[in-house]
Amino acid sequence: MRVLAHARGSITKTVIQKGQNQFNPIIIGFLCTWCSYAGADQAGVSRREYPPNILPIRVMCSGRISPHHILKAFQMGADGVLVAGCHLGECHYIRGNYMTAKRIPVVKELLSFMGLSPQRLGLTWVSASEGDRFAAVVREFTEQIRELGPSPLRGVS
Amino acid sequence: MEALRAKVAQLLKEKAISGFLGLKLEHGHPSPFLFTGEEGLDLLVVSDTRFPLTKLLQRLTSKYPEEKFGVMVRGCDERSLIELHKDNQVNLEHLVTVGVACSQELAQRCGCKVPYPSQFEVGEPATGVEGGGELESIEGMAEDERFNFWMEQFGKCIKCYGCRNSCPLCYCSECTLEDSFLVPPGETPPKAPIFHLIRAFHTVGRCIDCGLCEEACPVGIPLRTIYKKLGQVVSELFGYSPGKEVEGRSPLSFLGEKPFKEQG
Ligand code: SF4
Ligand code: SF4
Ligand code: FES
Repeated sequence: MRVLAHARGSITKTVIQKGQNQFNPIIIGFLCTWCSYAGADQAGVSRREYPPNILPIRVMCSGRISPHHILKAFQMGADGVLVAGCHLGECHYIRGNYMTAKRIPVVKELLSFMGLSPQRLGLTWVSASEGDRFAAVVREFTEQIRELGPSPLRGVS
Repeated sequence: MEALRAKVAQLLKEKAISGFLGLKLEHGHPSPFLFTGEEGLDLLVVSDTRFPLTKLLQRLTSKYPEEKFGVMVRGCDERSLIELHKDNQVNLEHLVTVGVACSQELAQRCGCKVPYPSQFEVGEPATGVEGGGELESIEGMAEDERFNFWMEQFGKCIKCYGCRNSCPLCYCSECTLEDSFLVPPGETPPKAPIFHLIRAFHTVGRCIDCGLCEEACPVGIPLRTIYKKLGQVVSELFGYSPGKEVEGRSPLSFLGEKPFKEQG
């Protein structure tokens, strides 16, 4: 739950980009520490550019991300949530991401049935060496959320 | 009814079970009761009034693991027992079930596909009712319309926890719906949609669609429709139908040897 307390802190600091009128979404990124977070690091080290809208939260494994975390992020007004883990078969805990692969599609369907676009929830696999890929994924996802506009849950509570 | 009483009397007499969980007619109302002796069995009844008997049984067996109990089961009760068994909450081998087939009227009221258990002593099998109730009309709505619909529905919630309390598969001693971080205490209605979505996700791969939650909800939120929808999703993605077979595990209850589906 500490990760979410952290998210609460970050989420209130809305991303402000001066000189731009476009909608700046708040995106929570849950990144597994062994691959995707390292991938994000790699992107930084190799100076790849990606939009600053994503607020990364490091978790031990993508399988550690409970749907509760995702739901809480949306409840707190996130416009998008990106879950990233090791490629299938490469999870540090062997099969943790198989759980992720099973859960996320169900959460998407649930969101969709509730009238929240399932596109607001992203799932991707990024390895530690894929800095380029991480940057590309984040660029694409941010664009996707930008097009969807603000979450209807913004300002609800 | 007589067949049921005779059967229970025999089970108790033979000491095949230490108690039978059924419905007792008291002051004109049937309510759950544990019959432990032959006397009083004349008040054992079958009625269209529904209770989560298997949930009570789970409490009972966890408290008295050595005892063997009997229980009255309708179709849905039997399905819930199967899921409880898979979750290691009851042991089917340690139970004696006495089946009851529901009346056509009840089947209609429940919108029940299979209104009878695999074996039954009482009643005639009624015809199953097909159709998803409100599901189609809700699915037919535009996204924003659907969002508003649910937010309005959830806004009615008085946080009575009736949906959880009546659910035969909600057995946790610590409930996420009482987690103060996710569901701040003292707020009515609870934060929407998170309160309802947490519960919804907990039914995934487990809900046997008995409809007790919706029956219990004092403000008439179409809760069952959400769980029904997720039931369809689970069936499509994983080919699993809760409560159907004793074999096989619910897809989200284990990590798995192979991923079911890759999604980007
Ligand atoms: S859901 Fe089906 S089995 Fe259960 S009480 Fe209703 S008709 Fe009977
Ligand atoms: S039964 Fe209805 S009112 Fe009570 S907590 Fe559940 S949804 Fe809310
Ligand atoms: S450690 Fe990366 S997904 Fe499990």
